[in-house]
This record gives sequence, C-alpha cells and structure tokens, in this order.
Amino acid sequence: MCASVKYNIRGPALIPRMKTKHRIYYITLFSIVLLGLIATGMFQFWPHSIESSSDWSVQKRSIRDVPVVRLPADSPVPERGDLSCRMHTCFDVYRCGFNPKNKIKVYIYSLKKYVDDVGVPVSSTISQEYNELLTAVADSDYYTEDIARACLFIPSIDLLNQNALRVKETAQALAQLSRWDRGTNHLLFNMLPGGPPDYNTALDVPRDRALLAGGGFSTWTYRQGYDVSIPVYSPLSAEVDLPEKGPGPRRYFLLSSQMALHPEYREELAALQARHGEAVLVLDKCTNLSEGIPAARKRCHKHQVFDYPQVLQEATFCVVLRGARLGQAVLSDVLRAGCIPVIIADSYILPFSEVLDWKRASVAVPEEKMSDVYSILQSIPQRQIEEMQRQKWGSVSNPLFLPLIPPQSQGFTAIVLTYDRVESLFRVITEVSKVPSLSKLLVVWNNQNKNPPDDSLWPKIRVPLKVVRTAENKLSNRFFPYDEIETEAVLAIDDDIIMLTSDELQFGYEVWREFPDRLVGYPGRLHLWDHEMSKWKYESEWTNEVSMVLTGAAFYHKYFNYLYTYKMPGDIKNWVDAHMNCEDIAMNFLVANVTGKAVIKVTPRKKFKCPECTAIDGLSLDQTHMVERSECINKFASVFGTMPLKVVEHRADPVLYKDDFPEKLKSFPNIGSL
Amino acid sequence: MQSWRRKSLWLALLTSWLLVLLGLFPLFRLSVPTSPRAGAPQGWPHWLDAELLQSFAKPGELLEDGPRPPQVLRGGSCNWGACFDTSKCRGGGLKVFVYPAAGPVSETRRRILASVEGSRYHTLSAAEACLLLLLSPDTSTGECDPVPPQWDGGRNHLVLSLHPAPCPRTFQLGQAMVAEASPTVDTFRPGFDVALPLLPEAHPLRGGAPGQLRQHSPRPGVALLALAEDGGRWHVAGTDFSACPWDGRCEQDRGPKQTHPGATLPNATFCLIPGRGPDVLHFLQALQAGCIPVLLSPRWELPFSEVIDWTKAAIVADERLPLQVLTALQEMPLTRVLALRQQTQFLWDAYFSSVEKVIHTTLEIIQDRIFGPSAHPSLLWNSPPGAILALPTFSPSPSDFPFYHLQQGSRPLGRFSALIWGGAPGQPPLKLIQAVAGSQHCAQILVLWSSEKPPPTRWPKTAVPLTVIDGHRKVSDRFFPYSAISTDAILSLDAHSSLSTSEVDFAFVVWQSFPERMVGFLTWSHFWDEARGGWGYTAKRTNEFSMVLTSAAFYHRYYHTLFTHALPKALRTLADEAPTCVDVLMNFLVASVTKSPPIKVPYGMWHQEARPPPLEPGGPGLRQEPQPAAQNCINQMAAGFGHMPLVSSRFRLDPVLFKDPVSVLRKKYRSLEKP
Repeated sequence: MCASVKYNIRGPALIPRMKTKHRIYYITLFSIVLLGLIATGMFQFWPHSIESSSDWSVQKRSIRDVPVVRLPADSPVPERGDLSCRMHTCFDVYRCGFNPKNKIKVYIYSLKKYVDDVGVPVSSTISQEYNELLTAVADSDYYTEDIARACLFIPSIDLLNQNALRVKETAQALAQLSRWDRGTNHLLFNMLPGGPPDYNTALDVPRDRALLAGGGFSTWTYRQGYDVSIPVYSPLSAEVDLPEKGPGPRRYFLLSSQMALHPEYREELAALQARHGEAVLVLDKCTNLSEGIPAARKRCHKHQVFDYPQVLQEATFCVVLRGARLGQAVLSDVLRAGCIPVIIADSYILPFSEVLDWKRASVAVPEEKMSDVYSILQSIPQRQIEEMQRQKWGSVSNPLFLPLIPPQSQGFTAIVLTYDRVESLFRVITEVSKVPSLSKLLVVWNNQNKNPPDDSLWPKIRVPLKVVRTAENKLSNRFFPYDEIETEAVLAIDDDIIMLTSDELQFGYEVWREFPDRLVGYPGRLHLWDHEMSKWKYESEWTNEVSMVLTGAAFYHKYFNYLYTYKMPGDIKNWVDAHMNCEDIAMNFLVANVTGKAVIKVTPRKKFKCPECTAIDGLSLDQTHMVERSECINKFASVFGTMPLKVVEHRADPVLYKDDFPEKLKSFPNIGSL
Repeated sequence: MQSWRRKSLWLALLTSWLLVLLGLFPLFRLSVPTSPRAGAPQGWPHWLDAELLQSFAKPGELLEDGPRPPQVLRGGSCNWGACFDTSKCRGGGLKVFVYPAAGPVSETRRRILASVEGSRYHTLSAAEACLLLLLSPDTSTGECDPVPPQWDGGRNHLVLSLHPAPCPRTFQLGQAMVAEASPTVDTFRPGFDVALPLLPEAHPLRGGAPGQLRQHSPRPGVALLALAEDGGRWHVAGTDFSACPWDGRCEQDRGPKQTHPGATLPNATFCLIPGRGPDVLHFLQALQAGCIPVLLSPRWELPFSEVIDWTKAAIVADERLPLQVLTALQEMPLTRVLALRQQTQFLWDAYFSSVEKVIHTTLEIIQDRIFGPSAHPSLLWNSPPGAILALPTFSPSPSDFPFYHLQQGSRPLGRFSALIWGGAPGQPPLKLIQAVAGSQHCAQILVLWSSEKPPPTRWPKTAVPLTVIDGHRKVSDRFFPYSAISTDAILSLDAHSSLSTSEVDFAFVVWQSFPERMVGFLTWSHFWDEARGGWGYTAKRTNEFSMVLTSAAFYHRYYHTLFTHALPKALRTLADEAPTCVDVLMNFLVASVTKSPPIKVPYGMWHQEARPPPLEPGGPGLRQEPQPAAQNCINQMAAGFGHMPLVSSRFRLDPVLFKDPVSVLRKKYRSLEKP
C-alpha cells in the first residue's frame, strides 16, 4: 500500500529523467500493484472508512467503481420543500463559525450509486456538468474534507435534470445522507425542474429545508434571500467560440431562435415578421438536414439554413420566450453572443437577480404585451441599446461621494515632515500656528541619527504639538495614517514652506471644506504628452493649466493617508521610498484615480523662495530633477494602467480677490503677496 | 535485460504479498495517515473516465422542453403581470387617483393626501386613473372605510397604510397591491407589494430634517456600537465592547454604559437593530444619524427593497452569531465603513426624510413597473441625487444626466447653446450675440422672444445658427426644456446681459468640470434675518455667495426638465408673479439636487458701468438689490421646499494665471484682466 502510493506520487516527477527501460519498469510495477489492490478487494472496506478518515487515498478512480447503495422501499422521504424558509429560520449558522475569517466551508458527499431494493438505479450516477461543478467547488478555498467543520453540504446526487431521476427514490437517497438533518445547510443544484404535464418551476424532489440553486424559479416558488436562481447551462456555449462583437447596429433588429415554441407564440412571432419584414427573423428547426449535422447547431427560416449560435450575433435583440419551463438555455447563448435578451416569461426570477441588475443588459416584456414587442423595443434609444450591448455590470465610485461640507469648527491637522532643518521647521511651526482653524500640529521626525530638539526649545503654540519619530527615513512616512490625526482635514507641509500667509492657509482650508474629496494645494504642476518621445512629461513652468498640486503644501482628507499606506497599487510605495522622490505625484495619481476628479489649486502663484533652503521651485529648476519627475509620471501611469490625472484651467481665489473693493472688508486680504 | 525482468517480477510479487498482508481493514486505516500522501490536497476525485460522462440533458432536451400555452392566472397569489392592468396606463403614463377621506382626517392622513395631490402623477378623475390609491384607516379615526366605489376586485388598487391598521379590513384585498410599513417577509409579495418604512407620527410633510452626518469618516473615539432599546432609545456602547450585547445574555460584559435617556439619534458607527421587535422605527433613526444599521435577522422586508440596494447602506447579520458579527464590524475595512455611512445619508435624504418623499418614492416604483424597459436603472435609484430627482423621461441613458459622468466614465458634450431671453422692446442685443457667438464652444443661439411686439425681422449674421422661439411671456418659460436645445450645456442670458467672449469661454470650461452645478458671473447671498425672523438675500458684494443670477449662467439642460416637470406648480406660478423670484427658484432647485453651492467665475466690472439702467425695476435684467417685495419670495420658496437648500461658497474660480505677475502673452484668458 505504502509503496503504491509513493510511486504514484513520485512517478511523474521521476519519469522524465529516467531511461525508457526504467520507465516501463515503473509503469509495469505500478499497474501490477494497482491490480493487486483491486484483486485483494480492499475497496470493499473503503465506504466504511470514508466518513471517519480523510478522503480517497487514491485520487484517480473510475466512475464505474463507485460504491452501490441499496435503498429499502420504506426508507424515509423528506418533507416537501418548506416555502417559508429563510436564512434565520431554516439555516443553521452555528455550523459556520469554525474559522476566524468567517469563511464558509463546503463539504461534498462522496459519490455513490443509488439503487432501489430491486437493484434498478435511481438516477444516472453523475453528469458531466455536475462533475465539473463539484470539481470547481472542490478546487476552491471553500472546500473542506472535514465534515465536522463544514457549514454547507453538497450531495453528490445529481439533481440537475429532474427528467433523469426518479423523484421519490432520489428523495430517499437524500434523506439517508449522514448529516441530512431535514436538509439543513444542504445545497442542491437543479437546472431543469418539473416535468410534464405541470412543469413545476422548482425541483419536485422533496427536499425539506435544503437550499436550492435552481434554474427557472418563478416568484411563486422562489424563496427570496434563501434560494439562488442560476442560469440554465447551454452545452453550445462551451463548444462554440464566438468572437467578441462591439456595440452597434446589427443585421436583424429582432431574432427568435427557439425551436419548440407553443403554436400561439409562433403565430405571434410570424405576425411580427409579416409586419416588419427583414428586421425580424423567426427561426425554427430544420426539417431536412442531411445526416451527421447536429440539429442543435442549425436553424432554418423557410429554406434558408443558419448556423447556431453564430446567427445570434447578427441581431440586436433576441427573444427568450418561456417554454414549459421559465429558465431557458437559450438565455446563455444569447448573452454570450452579445445579443440583448428580450425576456418574455412572466414571473421568472432571472439568474443571480439578487446581485445583478438585469435592467442594464436585458429587456423584460410581459407575455400579454408580446404583440407589441417590436414597438416597445423601437422606443429604446440607440444610446441605451449600445450600453446594453456592452453589458457593463460594475462601475467606479468615489469613496467620498456624499456632497457635504464638514464643519469649520473641526479644523485641520498640520503634518510637517522634517529631517534636520530645525530652524526652518520652527519658523514653519510658528507661521502655521497663526492659522485660526489649525487644531493640532504633528511633526514627523524622519531622522534616526539625531534626536529632535529638547521640549523646551520648541516654539510655544496655542494648539497641541506632537513629534512622531519614525523608524526609517522614508518619504511615505509623511502619508502614514497616524492615530494622532483626529481631524478629517490634513495639511501636509514641508519644513521649508514659510512663505504662505495665515490668510492663504486658512483660505485653503475653507476651499478644502467645499471639496473634501480632492487635493487642495498651492503650487500647481502639469503633466504633458511629449509627442516626440511618445511619453509623459512633467511641467513646472507658468502654464494655464494644472493637473497636480505639490504636497509640500496641500490639504486633503485623512482617508487618503490610509489609501496611500495600504492600498497604493503595484510597487509604487516602495519605489517612491527607494528613489526618495515623487511621493507627491504618487498621491496625486492615487486621489485622481479613486475620485475621478481634478485637484484644486488655490491662490496665485508665489515665488517659493526662502533664504536658506532649496524650495520646491528652486529644486524644480534642476534639470535632472525634471527628468526624474517625468519618469515618475510614466512609471505611475503604467502601474495604474491609465492616466488618471485631470487637467483643469482654474484655480480658487477668494470671492473678492483683486476686486475693486475695500481691502479691510475682504475676508482674506493677505493673499498673493510675494 | 534478463535480470531486469526477473527483478521486476520479483518486486511485483513481493509488493502484492505485502498488500495482501496489509489488506486487513484495521491496518489499512492506520496506514492512511502515515502514508506520504496524507498532507497532499485531496478532494473531489478526478475521474479517470470523466470524458465518458453524459451531459445532464439529452441533446434536444434543452432546446425543446415541450411547448406550453400562454399562462393563465393562478389563483391565490398575485404578481405584477397577472394582477395589474397596465393597458390602463397607456398614453398618459401613471395617473393616480386617491379616494377622498370620509369623516375626520388625522394629521398623518392629511399629509399623505397632500403628498399624493402634490405629485406629478395625481389626477382628480377616477376614470382616467390607472392606479387607485386607498388609504388604510389610521389610528386616530379608528373608522374602517367601506368598500370604495371603483374597487373592481382590487384591480389596479394600491392599499396604502403608513401605520399598522387598527381595525380589520372589512373587505378582501383581492388583486390590490399593499404598501405597508415593515411587512413581514412571509406575506410580502416581491415585485407586487411595496415595503414602506415605519414612520414616526410627527414625520414632516416635506423637506424634513437633514441627515446628521457632518463628516465622511467616523470621528476618532466615537462609539463603535449603539444597540436599539425599547421606546425608541439607544444604548451606546464604548469601542471596547466585548461580546454578545443583545438578548441580555452577556449583561456583565457590557462596556462602559452611556445610555442617554431620551436621545433618539444614536452617535455610533454601527447601530444594532433586532429583527423581531416591533420598533423598526429604530431603522430610520439610524439612517438619519448616519449610523450604519446592522439588522439582526430581520423578519420584515426592508423599505423599498424593490429598488434600493440595501447592501450598500446596511448590514444584514445573523443574530445567532454575535461574536462573528462583532468581529466583522470591528474589522470592517475603512473604505466600506465610509461608503456605508455616506449611503445611509443619501438614502435618508432622497427617500425617507419626509412623508412626501416616501409617497413619491412609492409612486415612482409603480411608475417604474409600468415603464418596464425605460424605468430608472438601478444606478439612478442608488446614487445621488436619487430616482425622484432623476426623471427617467429625460433620458434612458445615465450619461445624459449631469450626475453620473464619474460612474459612467463619460463627459458632457463639448459645446453649449446660448438661450437669450428677450422680453423688452428695442434693438436685438447685437453686442451680446456677437460676444457669445465668438466663443469656440458655442453651438447655437436661441432667442426666446417673449415681448408683445413681434421680434425684429433682421438678426445679425453669426457663425453659429440663430433661432428665434416664440415664448409664452411667462418668466418660467425661460426654463422650459425646448427641443431645440441640442447641447448638454445651456448659457442662460438676458437681452440686457453683457459678457465678453473670454468670459464665456472660461466659464464654459469651468462648467465642464462641474456639469451638475450652475456656473455664473453675478451672485447673491442669502442670510437669516434675525430682526424679521425670516430669510433674506442681498446682491451686495460680500465675501460669500449662494446664488448665481440666471441672466448669465451656465447649467445643464436637465435642469429645464426638472424645473418644468418636477417642481410644484405653485412655486412656478409664484415665480411668474414676481419675476426676480425665478432666480431664487432655479438656485433652490439646483442646490436641493446637488447639495452644493453654485460656482462664481470672474466678471469684468466694466460691464456694470457700461450697462444701461434696468427698464423695469425688478424685471429681468442684471439686477442689483432685490426689491423688498421680492424678499418674501425666498421665504415662500423655503416653505415650498420644506427647508433651506442654499449652500454658501467662499471662493471664485479664476484662470490659473489670473492677474499673476507674468507676461500677459502667456495667459490664455488675458482679456479677463481688464480693470
């Protein structure tokens, strides 16, 4: 036993390196061992051990070898489905709390072949589709082999097609599952429910409290928030490769491709075709196809033969009409072909309707309105049709989308990043402390080799001043979401920005309050497309446009610190720290990407000059600096996969800025002085 | 070779024997865990003969499942297709008739009636109505209405009860839809009934209190949880909440107790609301407070669940898993907390803050069902400004509205239509037409001629098409959605307005960044007048503003549709009677939709000096100080809206290099710098 298992596992790895002779030897050996295993009849023990020990010891097996289970005629049958079931009444959540991440664990019962007491099978053992489905579940993170830790149980009894099983006996098979317990936490899959003559819209197999993922639910059988509506699988979708087709007009406006339609419906469709001619195409089964051509792949209109499902791509709208069942496999084909489904099936619960907004990709028409379907569709504007053809389900949203002006009383927290320019830092602290709305000042001390000055040496200011020492001299420390930040507004300011007046800073804060989802800053910069080099270029000249603000002096929402630190895409954060540059450009990219909005530059341009330091402008003039900054833009654009920065031609000034109006009556008189 | 074969045979035999020895059952079981495969991933077997498996359905079976005749009505249960006759709504769309109240009318009932009557769907004739609204009796009257005259088995009826009905209905509901507060999930028929919120007795008719949220992110140190208690109170718990705060099961574990008796609005990040209790009133309180509702196994249908995506604003949790729920709340990513908080506020303000909004939302849902494919897309219901303010009749495509460009990744169309309101006799406004037509962004000029005298026969030759439309001499006509307006942007002008091409160009470029707002040149600001105990407004130049004059302003053409089709008629009549009021009204409308101030752009002072004095005081012109009579207008508007929507702004948007000390040759909008 041990030997066989060992070779089985090591075999594939060893074989390529061995000579043919040796390979034959091992394969022979393996086969003999396998034969020996079967011969000794060890598998007869296997079913008894499955529930207690772990799963199969040999992973590759044949369907024909699955154990047979005989169901006595009087074995119990579960209650019929309980229509009043909801998660809180029929679902046992206590089984789902085993792992800390609140992730549900799914157990799959092992495959067995069920026969009645005279040995006639209850159903086909397993279909190809159900095997694929279970394989997918088993390959996912949700799967567990440990039945005791499972929250959800999936029987391997194949219920996909009700016609392929015996209802009562299948129910008996369900009831004898080891953890059945009235079907609690059991998930059943079914695509073709009901049978003639009534065609119920949910699986007829009595299933008590089990959850049902079914194709073809109606509002009468669907238990909202408990059952799941799934699409009916179409084998053609897997077989045929259809090219993607962009939005736009198609050859036919409306197409019907279903073969078995009730004569009344077919008459209605024929009438539509008669009325609207070429625009409507009603297809039917082909009557005289030559041998060997699968009937499922062809459709006919009179004597014209069409390939299916390819013909669906020729139409803007495709009818998905209720048959005996509400769920139709043609819906899958239509969606895949990029045709807009026109669903004519009253009370049908569309697949995954709890999470998908079908209105965006389909049209539902009541059955009684079928004769008006053409005019209903005609009334849909072309633009909406194109949006439906794109079948967009998701959309981007601004994390701070609510239009709201935070109260002024909250104030802002100034964060000064500093290394060792103490004198300049103290001047900045003194200047910033004059701003009325400052509520706290945070100094991020980025120098590990030097201690910050003694407490007594710091300027005495009216608001709390806190020094945070960092573990490493990294630029990203400026954007860390420190617990000390209690206000929503953050002013990032360099330790050499001493030329901004109190009026200018206060005004910047007021502007930020009206744009709390944007970067509101002082020096503005621009990105440009360099046609010669075919790449982006950084621009700091006097331009009429702005697409970035420098974070050497900028207000923003503290949420962006969280985003910068934890959600920055790709390796940008490390890249910035390694290059000691462009943290501000990275922040501009991040905010623009997530909000889709432009920055706001406030107040006129200043000469950012100070006597003892290389200010932003001074630095920017440096040629290598410009090249580096341009590189940053190109690097970030490639990581983001797009250029999120938005270019604008405006800046914000006080309402009465430079107006002919008494200065002393202006709110922010000291703005724009050089 | 020989030796090899011998060796292999020998080995095989040996192994077989070993297997037979090991084949004893107990040994087999022991051997499994020690085998080298024990740690390897196992699972659903990969069947050797998987290729041979049959499909679940026979080849033709999926394509022909037996034809079935059109459905017949099933007894017992109703759904929309079966029990509502939409053919009655053909033509005029939704028309709602409400049965008059018999006997004394309670305050709540009066509010509901007023809301329905104020709706754009209301009709006075039961015969032309396609929806008949029956108000369920409320607590104070206690009398049960008899079966109404046009009952017809309840067909096309909506029985509306905002409060639990005190007396049993004397007639069968039949095919009528039921709109009731917090229906139980067992009786609720999705897609047919409408779930309403349970409203407090004193819920205001219109406007309503704004959401309590003052900032996007929770304040540091704010309580994590508030737990709903009996009598509409909340028990606020500290952040170090340990476990199971509900059912009183872990009473001793409760964190620092901060019960505020009488405090109706909770101050916490999450609000735990038990599902079984009758006081679902807590739900609306949490929503208003911006406290994320955590519904513990609710047995009732969430309000307007047909259209509102509650996963974006609330959390439905299982009351049986207190520890897991608490952990999940504590560890919820900041991004989700922010999004949920904001959504609560948006939903509260859009659909719940007044009786009128609740009623209009109900009717809007019915209207959407009738519209079918051209109903509001989910995006319009679930993002600001909400479905009541986004009329689906305007356009089926969200990118045509000013609000959804970010979500849609679209932009407004790149040109504008100038709409000149010319009511006064005299020469056509040549200079204005030339200045506007000179803009590279101008698509067309429309002159809305509203004077008694016929318009001049000769108009200046312009590079863009000029069309004269005959107005109806009412001031509100200038905001009619004329089909001739082909662009997203409208530049609204008076014949007296004076603008330069540069100003127009720059303002339009700014508008493209803010397509949902009004962008204007001249401003007013509103203020609370303590002395008179009312609102006032002034045209004086101040450090802030809250309105821009429509005599020169850019805005989205959607606001014409909204002005004409969504505003109560009474307010439009008011504007017609006092023409300066129309500016106030338009600013109220836009502000109530955007919750944001308008935008001011630079305007040369030389215009005002060159401008002729207004011919009629208070008439449409570049108005200065509003007339005292007009002051009352702002208060009437505030009453009509139920609140004061105007928001003040403290900045003006200037060109980037505006009046900067740099050569004018570098400046794109240099002519704006004229003194």
